[in-house]
Amino acid sequence: MSDYKHIGKDFTPPDVVGKVTGKARYAEDFRADGMVYARVYTSPMAHGRVVNIDTSALDDMPGIIGIITADDVPAVEAPGAAMLTNLPVYIGDPILAVAAEDETTAENALAAIRVDIEPLPFAVDPLDSLVEGGPDAREEGNVYVRSREGSGFRRIKWTPEQIDEFRAGREPTGEHAAEWEYGDVEQGFAAAEVIYEEPFVTVGYAHMSMEPRTAMAYWENGKCHLYASSQSQSFWMPGLARLLEIDMADIVLISENTGGGFGSKIGAYPMAALPAWFSKKIGRPVQLRITREQEYYVGSARVGFQGWMKIGFAANGRVTASDVFIVEDIGPNATGGDGSSAAGAVSLVYDPEAMRFRGLPVLTNTTPRGAQRGPGQNQIAAVMAPIMDRAARDLGIDRVEIRRINAANNATTVYEDQEPVTSAYMKEALDMGAEMFDWERRKQKPAKNGSKVRGIGIGQGYHSAGANGYDGLVRITPDGKIHLHSGVGNLGTYSYASTVRSAAEVLKCDWEDCVIHHGTTEAHLPWSSYQAGSNTSFTHQRANYVAALDAVDKLKQVAARMLGGSPDDFDIDGKRVFAVANPSRGMSYADAAAHAISLGGTFSGQEVPEDIHEVTRRSVENLAGSGLVGVAKDNLRKEGVVPGLAVAFAEIELDLETGKYQILDYVGIAECGTVVHPQGLAAQMKGGAVWGMGMAGLERHVYDPQNGLPAGVGYYQCRIPTYLDTPSEIRTGAVDLPDPQSPFGARGIGEPAMGCSVAAITSAIADALDGHVFNRTPVSADMIVNHVAGREQSFVALQTNNF
Amino acid sequence: MASFDVMPHIELYKPTELADALELADRLGPRGWLLGGGQDTYGWFKDRAKNAEAMIDLNGIEALHGIRETADGIEIGAATTLREIVRDPLLNERFAVLPAAAARVASPQIRNVGTLGGNLVQDTRCWYYRRGLACYRAGGNLCYADSPQGMNREHCVFGASRCVAVSPSDTATAMVALDATMVATSVDGERLIPAGRFFALPETHITRMTTLEPGEILTAVRLPARWAGKRFYFEKVADRDVWDFALVSIAAAFDLDGGNIGDARVVCGGVAAVPWRLREVERALRGRAPGADTGEAVAALATRGARPLNYNHFKLPLMENLVRRALREPA
Amino acid sequence: MNIAEFKRDVWGREVLLGVSWDLLWVIVALSFAFIALHAIGMAVLGRRGPKPSSDGPRVARHAAVDRAFHWIMAVSVFVLLVTGVLPIIGIEFAWLTIHWIAGLVLTVVVLFHIVRSLFWLDLKSMWIAPRDLKEPFDSSVKPGKYSLAQKSMHAAVTVLSLLVIGSGLVMFAMIDTPWWNRTNALSESTLGWVFFIHGLSTLLLIATISLHVYFGLRPEKLFYLRSMIKGWVSRDELEAHHDSSRWSAGESN
Repeated sequence: MSDYKHIGKDFTPPDVVGKVTGKARYAEDFRADGMVYARVYTSPMAHGRVVNIDTSALDDMPGIIGIITADDVPAVEAPGAAMLTNLPVYIGDPILAVAAEDETTAENALAAIRVDIEPLPFAVDPLDSLVEGGPDAREEGNVYVRSREGSGFRRIKWTPEQIDEFRAGREPTGEHAAEWEYGDVEQGFAAAEVIYEEPFVTVGYAHMSMEPRTAMAYWENGKCHLYASSQSQSFWMPGLARLLEIDMADIVLISENTGGGFGSKIGAYPMAALPAWFSKKIGRPVQLRITREQEYYVGSARVGFQGWMKIGFAANGRVTASDVFIVEDIGPNATGGDGSSAAGAVSLVYDPEAMRFRGLPVLTNTTPRGAQRGPGQNQIAAVMAPIMDRAARDLGIDRVEIRRINAANNATTVYEDQEPVTSAYMKEALDMGAEMFDWERRKQKPAKNGSKVRGIGIGQGYHSAGANGYDGLVRITPDGKIHLHSGVGNLGTYSYASTVRSAAEVLKCDWEDCVIHHGTTEAHLPWSSYQAGSNTSFTHQRANYVAALDAVDKLKQVAARMLGGSPDDFDIDGKRVFAVANPSRGMSYADAAAHAISLGGTFSGQEVPEDIHEVTRRSVENLAGSGLVGVAKDNLRKEGVVPGLAVAFAEIELDLETGKYQILDYVGIAECGTVVHPQGLAAQMKGGAVWGMGMAGLERHVYDPQNGLPAGVGYYQCRIPTYLDTPSEIRTGAVDLPDPQSPFGARGIGEPAMGCSVAAITSAIADALDGHVFNRTPVSADMIVNHVAGREQSFVALQTNNF
Repeated sequence: MASFDVMPHIELYKPTELADALELADRLGPRGWLLGGGQDTYGWFKDRAKNAEAMIDLNGIEALHGIRETADGIEIGAATTLREIVRDPLLNERFAVLPAAAARVASPQIRNVGTLGGNLVQDTRCWYYRRGLACYRAGGNLCYADSPQGMNREHCVFGASRCVAVSPSDTATAMVALDATMVATSVDGERLIPAGRFFALPETHITRMTTLEPGEILTAVRLPARWAGKRFYFEKVADRDVWDFALVSIAAAFDLDGGNIGDARVVCGGVAAVPWRLREVERALRGRAPGADTGEAVAALATRGARPLNYNHFKLPLMENLVRRALREPA
Repeated sequence: MNIAEFKRDVWGREVLLGVSWDLLWVIVALSFAFIALHAIGMAVLGRRGPKPSSDGPRVARHAAVDRAFHWIMAVSVFVLLVTGVLPIIGIEFAWLTIHWIAGLVLTVVVLFHIVRSLFWLDLKSMWIAPRDLKEPFDSSVKPGKYSLAQKSMHAAVTVLSLLVIGSGLVMFAMIDTPWWNRTNALSESTLGWVFFIHGLSTLLLIATISLHVYFGLRPEKLFYLRSMIKGWVSRDELEAHHDSSRWSAGESN
């Protein structure tokens, strides 16, 4: 362990008490004088054109305040998600909203409004749209390609023979829309001892945040005050300004707590902006609350995959080449990019000597997709794990060993451009996990016990876990308090608090003297990254570090000015800045802050660095003169990909008669550089584990292809795992080796914490079934029962969004 | 179709005497709604998929609560909570299959307020029907689930007649296995209905799950001493161990005569609109000793005559496996 | 009171569900009111001429095969009405299989009757000619084999039966049977029209059949009922009610 004061130590984030006692306020808990209640009318049709909206029934309904339709809000260019639309592209696409004095009246109004929609063709399975003559999810086309060269709609069709060939597990020959490659793939396969070709499906599923995305907005003195449910804080501002068509300076965003976003609330979303437009129209504060069902609709979902994978292994277990083809279900709004990310993860976690990726993002009229914890990386982790196991078995190599042989390390290069990594210790993580799990003993599989068989699995997770270039802001006030301004959203991981501890570390101050400011624009927050992509830990340790360094520098300058000498003569500790030569010559932080105020200029934020972001600049301007201000942009060195890595070992007991399995033991190992917040890390690893268990066996989208209806819009229907579906104890550990490009050595971990879990479970299921690979998530009880009984599965090969 | 979640305006009656409740039920008829634990009711109303003018809250009626020993067995008031049933010593001693079934209902929180009566009369979970679609069960002209590409993994394999919904009740299977008598009370008096005739198939009652008539209240169930202390088995297979409804469940009672089975009740849940008695299995079991061999011998009879839909043929091997387990597991 | 009921389809659009079964009571009430008024009217105002004798020479009116058709049809229609209507008014039983079997019987016998009447029977004897319309107003105008009332009854039953059978066959195709599994091949609005036609023609059949049964049982017309059972009328009865120049009874078989 380090001898840091704060880094690597547990602490109690300030919002914990509120969450335990129920005092924590979420967007729905706020009220404003004269506030009205709005509800949304969402499309009942998977794809259609609104031809008439008849609101005449509302004319004599008391308590109705107003109606807002697509004509009242800015149009969004296809395929973007509309705030309100007259061309719904999925069941649940918002068409209009009604405001009333109370919610019941608003719902009565929704029931009375008549919306005529002309149906248009729709598709809920990408392959149904891809086949010649198949429906296009949007009138503009059935494929949307995003690339550096330009983005746009395409209409791509495969012949029925090509579809059949794909379903049969052969290499797809149909047109694709994205491709990258490194190394000599052909040569790689030629050098392989064994080659596997597998088709696979990972069914998409809803984010289903606990907190449906309620928002409340009002306008005051030209400023829009918005209470929203967001994952990020400062990062929301530019997007929100675009949605509201106003300047960022005129937005006050309040998001103190968020009941889960999981990737669905990363940036400002249309449903948050809608009450602001509505409030502007009717001149009263508007709270827009959506139903659980509507959260399913607009709350987005993981991208589904229908793919084909070819992978070759040398006799020594090394992956020589891999070829990945992924048809991505990108929903109606062309949100995704998971396919290429999945292939990128393969390039890092299994480090093939040569690799090719081909992708085809296909639009469907299912709920919009969005990044969900490990978007792409975690789907492919689930697919890869049993294939690695098969290779190990066929080559006579231990299953841990084959992963060690291919493990990412400091010399690994990744992705299309074969970039370096900042550091990577997958081998160490595997070793640690194997030891904690007692792999050597457990791999001696016990005999079948009645109808029950044991299976053990190994999973590996990866996500890039760090960005750079954001701002940090700290402030010391004359009362001696250290104010840590965090533009990081409070999405439940406590990263808003744990990252500012790097500033406390630099300032060598006690945690009790620190005050965290976050959760509202009025707390004067610096520009921050999004709270997604597992980056916050790495990114904002750095930003807070540079801001604190700036503060320390200013403390020394103030001391030098006041006490004479050069700033270099001074040092800090014990909330004092003092001369190294004579520690009694110095002053407290409090006094230094008071002096900083009188000195003005950069010391108290009257002047700001040139390179900081507009959001930070405005915050500093508002804080100017209130203390000693440390503010800086993170210009530290950052070269290469920052990997977040995780490994999981799981043991299951699978009942061949019921298709059910119990997870008996689970060990999750984080490889995320230095551990910053042990409890927070353990919680991340456990939360990720549970989520992965849900993806492996339970959660999925189900759509009726005949009418486009979704089967699982309720909370229980989404089959999120519960306490009784997960092991009572989930053991975690961390490699805890510092990353050289992080001031305190930390990288992120959020997403890999789940990827390793889903992979460990699919690996364990295959192990329990003597190596049978379903090549599909989730693996549900019915699939296992059918397999054991020697029956065909109910679905067509590669079918998706089905039971 | 809009999406709703606010409780609409609805009258609420809270009678404390059964007679008042019966009078209300009689007066309101189909316009009224009997309220037990409310765990299903509130969802229907908040979704506006069903509506009623008034709810008659039965929880305040003392006579509907409690587990009582009678001359011929045990009587359970319909408003008794599932938790009380799970924990009742008498039931656990004599009719353990019922507490075992009740313990697998939904979640601990729901069992704390959910009532036996409510669990028995609850409506099907067919997701099309729950969506508020006007299918056969809702008085319409078609079934969405039994269609060429319908998503019908959780639907029936027996007893379909236009509608392919299944009974979601875990305790219902136990009731049939125990030859329980359901006490339906109305202003006209009591009507005793054997459990096997209480639950209704769509061929006769396509819009209802039971044969309770409007104005009638399920006031109690009676478990006859005939099955007290016999060998029982209950198992429910669901996707998750909390919340989810049975993919298939089994409730079995074996009356052992010496070492052999004299009489047996083997009932599956999740396979038909009613708890489905495996009569051929029951017949075949007579005179056989319970055990793995017997299970193996009779398992295939469990699914004779089954008509699986597109996504639910897994229920056939699952049913057969559950029969095997019921006979294999020691009491 | 609505004639039709509507519902929301799978996408929330309002579509036809079928006939409003409240109409059943209206139909029943109207039929009984008519019957009651007619019976009273006949009792009060009816001309009581001498009743023709059923003795004497007999004339063949309905061949055995046609009588069999009539009664098979009657039984199947009765079964169809009972199995179709009772569940709607709350008497629940497993009606569907009986209903479609009876429906198939009806379909077969009606097809038989159509073929037979096209090729073997005198189609014109059932045709309503302009001259027939004078019947009710001019007592000197006597009908051929069938009176205007009978022809009208037959026309109504023909139209309604064909409608109810046609729509019934479409509905039959929409359920699971021993020969096929159901599909949702028809849109919900189309299905609504099918149900509407089936329901409405059923309701009108109830009225028509009520009148048919009533007139069949009226004392002055009982000989028709007998002819449908035994096949003959007496020469007297024929002369009293029919114009033998327009119906050469002897030729009829």
